[in-house]
Amino acid sequence: MAKSVTFSVFRYDPEQGRKPHYTDYQVDIERPGMMVLDGLNQIRWRQDGTLAYRRSCREGVCGSDGINVNGVNMLSCITHIEDLKDPIVVQPLPSMPVIKDLVVDLTDFYEKFYLVKPYLITKGPPPSDRERLQTPEQRKLLDGLYECILCACCTTSCPSYWADPEYLGPSALLNAWRFIVDSRDDGADERLEIINNRNGAWRCHTILNCVEACPKLLNPTEAIGQIKKTIVQRKF
Amino acid sequence: MLAKYFGSGRSGAFDWYFQRVSGVGLLVTLFLHFFVLHYATEGPLTYAKVMARLSSPAWKAIDITFLVFAIYHAMNGFKLIIDDYVHGTGLRAILIGALWVLAIAFLGLGLLTIVSL
Repeated sequence: MAKSVTFSVFRYDPEQGRKPHYTDYQVDIERPGMMVLDGLNQIRWRQDGTLAYRRSCREGVCGSDGINVNGVNMLSCITHIEDLKDPIVVQPLPSMPVIKDLVVDLTDFYEKFYLVKPYLITKGPPPSDRERLQTPEQRKLLDGLYECILCACCTTSCPSYWADPEYLGPSALLNAWRFIVDSRDDGADERLEIINNRNGAWRCHTILNCVEACPKLLNPTEAIGQIKKTIVQRKF
Repeated sequence: MLAKYFGSGRSGAFDWYFQRVSGVGLLVTLFLHFFVLHYATEGPLTYAKVMARLSSPAWKAIDITFLVFAIYHAMNGFKLIIDDYVHGTGLRAILIGALWVLAIAFLGLGLLTIVSL
C-alpha cells in the first residue's frame, strides 16, 4: 500500500471570484480500509479548512455525500481509496449548479422527486383495527426500489438529464415505480399521467449510467422499462 | 412547475412504442428483401427477371411496406433526437415540421418509383 495518495479536488468559491480549478492534496494512508470520505476529512481537518463537502452518516445510508470520483458518481463514505487509481480526481456531481467546492444545489433533483408524488395515495379509508397489510409476494415487489436514499448519483450521471434539464431523471422515476407497484397504493393513474410526458419516462434511452452509478446497487433503468411497458400496455 | 408535465396528447408513448414496432417490421422486411435479391433468384440475372419481380404486385406490396417502415423509423428517430436536445417550443415545431415535409417527400418519391415500375 502506498504511504500517501494524491487527491485532486475540484475547488470553486463563487465569493472569491476565482475560476473553478483543481487543487492537489497528499492524503496519508494511515490504516487499511480508508474511504474517500476519510481522505476528504483529513484534508479538511489538517490541511485546508476551507474545503466544503457534504457528509452525515458516513456509512452509506443518508445519501448526503454523493460525489464524482475518477469520473464515476459514488458515495465518498463507502468507496475505498485502495480501489481507486492514483491520482484520485474528486469532483462535484455533474450537471448541478455548484454552491461551493463539492457542494451542489440539489433543488431541481428534489423538485422532480416531489413531482411524482412519492407518498402513499389511497382512495378508501384506512382499516380501523390494523395497518394496511401486504402479502410477502406483494412486499417482494418493492425490493430493489424502496432502498433509494436520494443521493442523486443516478440522476446526475444520466446524459438524458444533462441534455434535457426538465427530464424527471432515473431517481424520480424509480421512486414513482416504487409507489406504482405498491399494493397498498391507489395513485398509479395520476403518477403515470405525469410520467407519460415528453420530459418523463420517454427521455430514457437505456444508457445505463444510472445503474453503474447507484451506490445501493439498484436498477433505475429496469424500473423505467417497467413504467414504459405499463404505459404502452394501458394505451395500445 | 407541474404544468410542464401535463397536457399535450403527444406524450411520447406512441413514438416510443411504434419505434419498436417499426424496428421489428424493418428487420423482417430488410431480411426478406436481402434474401429475395441475393438467394431467391436463379442466375444468371437478366433484365427480364428483374423487371418481372419489380412489376409483380406482391413485390410492390413488400417494397411499399419496407418503405413505410424505413421512413417512419428514420424520421421518428430524428424526432426523438429533437425531443432530447431542442427545448424551445418554437424551434422544435419548426424542426419537426421540416421532418414531416421531408418524410412526405421521401414517401412520395419512393411510392412513385415502386408503383411506376
